[in-house]
Amino acid sequence: MAIIRVDNVSKIYQTNGIPFPALRGISFTVDPGEFLSIAGPSGSGKTTILNIMGCLDQPSEGAVFLDEQDISRKKAAELAVIRRHTIGFVFQTFNLIPILTAFENVEFPLILKGDLSAKDRREWAERMLVDVGLKDFMHRRPSEMSGGQQQRVAIARALVKKPQLLLADEPTANLDSKTGKEILDLMLAMNEKTESTFIFSTHDRMVMDFARRLIRLRDGRVESDETRG
Amino acid sequence: MGSLFKLAFRNVFRFKRRTFITFTAVSVGLALLIIMICLMNGVDKQSIDNIVNSETSHIKIFKRGYFEKKDELPMDLRIDDADDVRSWLSDRPEIRRMEKRILFGASIIKGMDELPCLGVAMEPEQDPFIFNIKASLLEGDWLKPDDTGILIGKDLADDVGLKVGDLVTVRLISSSDRENFSWNALDVEVKGLFDTGNPNTDGQVLILPLARAQQALSMGSGATELVIRLNVADPTDPSIEATRKEVQAILKRRGADLEVYSWKELAGEFLIISKMKTRNSSMIIMIMLIIAAMGIANTMLMAVLERTREIGMLAALGMKKSQILVLFLIEGGIIGVIGSLVGCLLGGLGGWYLQVHGWKLGSEAFGDITASFYPLKNVFYADLSLDVLVMTFVLGTVIAVVTSFYPALKAARLNPVDALRHI
Repeated sequence: MAIIRVDNVSKIYQTNGIPFPALRGISFTVDPGEFLSIAGPSGSGKTTILNIMGCLDQPSEGAVFLDEQDISRKKAAELAVIRRHTIGFVFQTFNLIPILTAFENVEFPLILKGDLSAKDRREWAERMLVDVGLKDFMHRRPSEMSGGQQQRVAIARALVKKPQLLLADEPTANLDSKTGKEILDLMLAMNEKTESTFIFSTHDRMVMDFARRLIRLRDGRVESDETRG
Repeated sequence: MGSLFKLAFRNVFRFKRRTFITFTAVSVGLALLIIMICLMNGVDKQSIDNIVNSETSHIKIFKRGYFEKKDELPMDLRIDDADDVRSWLSDRPEIRRMEKRILFGASIIKGMDELPCLGVAMEPEQDPFIFNIKASLLEGDWLKPDDTGILIGKDLADDVGLKVGDLVTVRLISSSDRENFSWNALDVEVKGLFDTGNPNTDGQVLILPLARAQQALSMGSGATELVIRLNVADPTDPSIEATRKEVQAILKRRGADLEVYSWKELAGEFLIISKMKTRNSSMIIMIMLIIAAMGIANTMLMAVLERTREIGMLAALGMKKSQILVLFLIEGGIIGVIGSLVGCLLGGLGGWYLQVHGWKLGSEAFGDITASFYPLKNVFYADLSLDVLVMTFVLGTVIAVVTSFYPALKAARLNPVDALRHI
C-alpha cells in the first residue's frame, strides 16, 4: 500500500491576476520506506509538489492521498494536525528556532505533539541528536554551529517524532559539497534505520545520484520516473 | 502552554536593544502617567483640605436665602437664634465643634490707599477646633474674645505693607445696598499674620473677634453663619452628607427658617473646575497611552515581519494558527507586564518623592495661575495610592495584549508556503 498517491495533480498560481501553472496533471505513488528524489530545474514544480505532499499547500485540481487519506480538501487545522503527527520537514536554509538550543529545537515537535512525558521527550530528543552525531552540541544555539551541524539538527528535529514521511526541500543547497555529501549519507543511514519515507527535492547531480528512485519534473510535468539499484 | 511561555519569553529578549527601547517607552510612559495621576489626586486632595480647613469646614448653616446671595454678603439675612441652634445640636456625637461667624465686606485703609478684603468675625475659643488659622500663625498672637486687634493673611499684609504691631484703619461694611450703604470704621492693631497655604484666605481675609464685629456692625448677638466641624478625617466621607440631612431635619422639626449646606455645595465652583481639569488631563493620559501602545504595536509588527519564515516553519511543524496567535499575544503580554512593572516602580518612586517633598513652584511665577484654578500655593504634594499603581499595571498589560492582537492575527493568518518563501 502506497504511503503517498499523487493523482493527476495540477496547481495554478495567480500572479497579478495572471494564471501560472506550476503543476500540470502529475501522477505517481510512493511506497513506505522509499528514498526518493524529485529533481528538476528551477520552476519545474518540485517545491510545489513537496508542499502539497507536506500538507502545506493544496492542489488546484486532482487529489493527493497520504496513507490512503485524501489530504487535498482538508481544512487548515486538520492539515496542521497531520503535519504535527505524520510529516517531518527539512529546509534548504535549516530554519531552526534561533533562540532555542539544538536540544530544545529537537524537543519542540514532541511538545507540539503533546503525547509524551517530559522524561520521554528528553530521552527521544537526546537519542536523536546522538544518532545524527551531535552528542556534544546539544546545548548550543544555531548561531554557534556550522551549516552542516544545523542541518543535522534539522534532520533530528524532523525525525524525532517518528514521522511516516520526511520531506526535504533542497537540503544540501546551502552547504559545500563535502558537507552536503555528509548530510546525504546521514539521511540515507536514517532512512535505513527508521521506517520513515524520505522524499527530497534537488537540482544537484550529486544528490540525484544518492536517490534510490528519481522523478524528474519539467515545466510542471513528470519527465521521467526511474528506480535505481 | 508552558512551552509557549518559554518560547515567547525568549523571543521578547531576542533583539535586546529593540526590546530595551520598547520597555523604556512603555515604562516611562506609564511612570509619567502615575506621577501625573498622583499629582492631580494630590492637588485635588490638598485643595479640598485647604477649602475645608480655612473656608468652609464640613457644614454651614445659613438663614434661608443667604446661600443664593452669599457672594453679596447679605448682612440682613442673619441667624439671630444661633445659640439655640447650637443647643439643639449639642448632643450629636458626630459633631466636634460649632462656631458662629459673620462674613462681611471690609477694606484696609492705609494712608491714601484702600484695599478691599473679606472680613471674618469668629469666636476665638471655637475657631481653632474648626479652622487652621491659629495653627497657621506666622507671627503675633491668637485673638482673645474681647480683643480689639485683628489678624490678617500674610499675602494681604504684604500687599498693604503691614506687619505685626502696625496700627491700621479698617472699614466694616454692614450694608452694601446702593441706596442704603452703611459702614463703620475701626482703628485696630495688627496682632498676627497667618499663612494657611490657601491663597483665597491668605490674600483676602482679615479676622477679628465676633463680639467686636457684632458691636461694630450692629448685629446684636446675630451671625451670618453657624459653622460645624464633624469628627471625620476625610472630607469626602459620605457621612458628611448624611449628617447635613439630619441637621436639616432637626432644624425643620424645630421650625427654624434655616438651610444647611455641606462643603461640596459651598465649594461647587472649585469642584466643577477640578472636574473640567480632570477631563482635560484625561486627554493627555490617553495620548501618553496611545504613544506607549504604538511602541508595542511597532515592535510586534517588526517581530512578525522579521520572523515570517520562522512562523512558516512553526506552521510546518504543526503549530495551529491559534497557537501562533497565542504565542504573539503572550509576547505582547510579557512586554506589557515587565514594562508596566518597571513603570509602576519608577512612577511609584516619583509619586512617593512628590508626596514627601512636594513639587515646589515659585509663587511669583505660578501664584496667579494656581490661585485661579486651585486654592494652593508654593508646593503641590502628590497623593500616591496603591489603587493607582494597580490600575496602571492592569491598564498597561491589557493595552499591550490588545495592541499585540493585530500583529498576532497577522502572524497567525500567514500562509505557511508564502511565509517559508519570505526572504
